[in-house]
Amino acid sequence: MTGIGMLTAEDQMAIEQRLAEFLAKSEAQWSALVDKGGNLFAQSGDTGKLDLSILSALAAGSFAATHELAKRLGESEFSALYHEGHGQHILMSALHHECLLVTIFGERTNIGLVRFYAQQVTATLNELLQQAREKEAVAIPLQVEGDFLNDQATIT
Amino acid sequence: MAFINYSSREIQLKIVYYGAALCGKTTNLVTLHKQITHAQKGELVSLATDADRTLFFDFLSLNTKTLPGFTTRFQLYTVPGQAIYNTTRQLVLKGVDGIVFVVDSHWDKMADNVESFSNLQENLIENHLSLVQIPYVLQYNKRDIPNAAPINYLEFTFNNRANRALAFESVAATGSGVLETLNAAARLLLAKYSKTPNANVTGMSQPNLSVAVPPSEVNPPVPTPNDAVA
Repeated sequence: MTGIGMLTAEDQMAIEQRLAEFLAKSEAQWSALVDKGGNLFAQSGDTGKLDLSILSALAAGSFAATHELAKRLGESEFSALYHEGHGQHILMSALHHECLLVTIFGERTNIGLVRFYAQQVTATLNELLQQAREKEAVAIPLQVEGDFLNDQATIT
Repeated sequence: MAFINYSSREIQLKIVYYGAALCGKTTNLVTLHKQITHAQKGELVSLATDADRTLFFDFLSLNTKTLPGFTTRFQLYTVPGQAIYNTTRQLVLKGVDGIVFVVDSHWDKMADNVESFSNLQENLIENHLSLVQIPYVLQYNKRDIPNAAPINYLEFTFNNRANRALAFESVAATGSGVLETLNAAARLLLAKYSKTPNANVTGMSQPNLSVAVPPSEVNPPVPTPNDAVA
């Protein structure tokens, strides 16, 4: 199973608040919670016009490839992955429940600071994810009213 | 696994296009990207080699309003078809919600198709999944080539099971059958979220086959590729 299956509005707010606090302390630009299947769960900060679906899919793919490398080296997982650019950098940190914390930061801060605060927020996010998973286990499955299978529902 | 966000009222679903090398998976996504005009679509991302062979995956995101009160975001992925990239295929299948299995209709590709279908089932098991749990549709692609295998042969080879899947004929390069395949997969995935799902979609054991197979040809004698070539 990948990630978590649902997020309530309260869960989402709580996670986004932690992400915002993390950004304020670390002075990073953008941070998000994604799962290893490429789903974007929650985010905070600004990436301009970047397509966040693509960003999440590529981040998850990149981390998955690294996970396979780790396995072949006899490691259970690399807990963090860092891509260094000229002006912008990405840090990905593994969370529980098949999730990732993806952080983009620029020249205002440095990897040491971002990694330090990322480690702190990871523990809090893991707790929130655990709570979300427990809620999900007892939640009523989503069932919407109405038949959506009409002509308008067709993807065109 | 589908992800439901009650705050933004959004459902995210992952559909993977699977099949043998060069069967037309990437072409499906390229064509969809061109054909889809009404749904909000993202950029088509291809992680490919210089020779345009898929190295990791292709990715296309579609936002639709197919479910009342919710935005549905379909994340479409392809896998690399070449045999050496099996680990990559397993990674792309992580968290999959639905599958489109693309079959190359060329006679010479039948062994590759069968191997890929078997490989799909093995890789689903690696992800603790199976075709019984994951909705899937079949797409018989390249129907315009001169030596295409007959539909009844393809049905017998790939859809000869108790719960027959929806199957579609297509020519992905021209766009024929591509949207129909995606819509069928989308409806199968969304059916479980409706209180009044369309019986034609949820009745996976008795699907309305879009490919017309005469009753007399449901279990035909299996022709060999040599028969067709001859």
